[in-house]
Amino acid sequence: MDLLKALAIGAMFGVGVFQMLRRNVIRSTIGLIIISNAVNLFLLATGAYQGVAAAYVNEAGQRSDALPQALVLTAIVISMAGFSLVLALLYMLSTRYHTSDSDEIAELKN
Amino acid sequence: MNAHVVLLPVLIPLTGAAVGLLVWRWPRVQRAWSFGALLTSFAAAIALLWAAWTRGPVVFQLGGWAAPFGISLVGDLLGATMALMAQGVLVTGMIYALGCRDKAITYPAFFPLFLTLTAGLTGTFLTGDVFNLFVFAELLVSSGAILTAIADDRAGAEAAYKYFFISLFAAIFLLSAVGGLYVSYGTLNMADLAVRIAADPSPPLLAMAMMLMFVFFMVKSAVVPFHFWQPDFHAAAPTPVSAMLSSVVVKLGVYGFLRMTTLLFVPQAATLRGLLVVLGVVGVLFGGLAALGTHNAKRMLAYSTLAQIGFILVGIGWGTPIALAAAIVLTVNHSLIKAAMLMLAGAVASRAPIKSAAFANITGLGKSLPGMGALFLLGGLALAGIPPTNGFIGKLALFRGGVLAAEYPALAAIGVASIITVVYVVAAFERIWWVPPAEGVKAKPGGDRLLAPALLIGLCLLLGLWAEPLLRLASDVAVWLGDPGLYIAAVLGG
Repeated sequence: MDLLKALAIGAMFGVGVFQMLRRNVIRSTIGLIIISNAVNLFLLATGAYQGVAAAYVNEAGQRSDALPQALVLTAIVISMAGFSLVLALLYMLSTRYHTSDSDEIAELKN
Repeated sequence: MNAHVVLLPVLIPLTGAAVGLLVWRWPRVQRAWSFGALLTSFAAAIALLWAAWTRGPVVFQLGGWAAPFGISLVGDLLGATMALMAQGVLVTGMIYALGCRDKAITYPAFFPLFLTLTAGLTGTFLTGDVFNLFVFAELLVSSGAILTAIADDRAGAEAAYKYFFISLFAAIFLLSAVGGLYVSYGTLNMADLAVRIAADPSPPLLAMAMMLMFVFFMVKSAVVPFHFWQPDFHAAAPTPVSAMLSSVVVKLGVYGFLRMTTLLFVPQAATLRGLLVVLGVVGVLFGGLAALGTHNAKRMLAYSTLAQIGFILVGIGWGTPIALAAAIVLTVNHSLIKAAMLMLAGAVASRAPIKSAAFANITGLGKSLPGMGALFLLGGLALAGIPPTNGFIGKLALFRGGVLAAEYPALAAIGVASIITVVYVVAAFERIWWVPPAEGVKAKPGGDRLLAPALLIGLCLLLGLWAEPLLRLASDVAVWLGDPGLYIAAVLGG
């Protein structure tokens, strides 16, 4: 199970990095989103599945660790805000430059 | 005074921003309210530093959860000093914004965003929890990105996109580091982590987590291999915002390196310090040479930030108490000087026929602006480290630290870089104030108000002529940093 999780996270990270290196700004943003989700999975793998009983509930069995779940939840909420802002900036770029090719959005280079 | 004082510099700007958004229909009310909130929070930051300096660190456990389980806010001497520096410069930034002619200022969320920027930056300096650091850093970068995207400059959106993309990616690095540390040690509290890392530095993920965190702080401070977004971003932002970004916001990385080498990763500190000296030397030389070759006053100052951060990193890298004290003096001084210089460059640009800080556009404009010339010259002297300004004090302390640590190759490099600083500052002054203007080019009568840069330059002179308080504070901080046990005892209770 651990190996499977590690492989899944690794594959997602790889796909994300590949997408991120594309010239198209929309694709590279999607790559960023995929990497971010891979890291969320990694946080989840740090211990969310180790127990069988929920924390703060009077049940028998090993308690699961509530902290990784809290971390992932916070990270998801923050990245949702972050990605909506990135998408808004992308919209701004596409209305200003009428392109999604990062090589053509290069006013600052000169 | 009770421990709540450490909450105030974070909570007041956050509440202020929320209320500020509610009154967006009444711009005057919003401005007055936001400025009042920032001033109150500045007063709280002064009280916090005073409490930390006279009575020891102020620690507050959020929600009443005991230390390693809950989230602690720690107002220790380093955090409180950085928070006060940040809020002081942010107050002048808001004064500049209030007297600024940019259209960006009329954006309904401008002042609330300024306050969330303050809250995010102060929060990163005061938090005692690694994950909380990530949350505050995200607040900081999203406010900074929006404030840049609304710039009058058309390229603002491009710069904001670049910055935000890189920052989100850097945040992912920090998040992976958090995961690695949690797997290895089962805690995220910085004091608790420090105890456990010192007790057992063997987990395989530790080195990975350490380097990921190091890279995060490198991106935040625009240290050389990760600097590429910084000049674009700082040159395109509206003047009051770019003055803040290039002065106090880049200090987040500096703060992180100080914490990493003196608290979190003390057993590995020698490796990190060696790396910091190399990166610092590369930074001072690269930043200085790049600043020489620019065609835009704001861009020149942004590259100069790379070099000045390099000086600070070299100080942290030497790691002796006197070098650490020098790094802290340089950190405070650079924030004041760079904010003032960027405001002056922006104020000149606001009086130019076309609003741009390109040298081709502002050459000779200074002829009718002698007062600004005097301020710019004083700021330039401070940047280059020439007496009677505070820049001299910081450089002197750094050189003394280098001689005592017998680090001659690095000393030679930063000596050369100091000379380069003089060259580009004087070249910029000459182009704006000495060269005769092109035919028919004259400065417009109205423009951004000069109160804020005048305040900052006055403070630079004051700290140059009466340097003892800052030097004493910095050496106290260095002594405090010398013993991580003090921080740990303050947070965990011991």
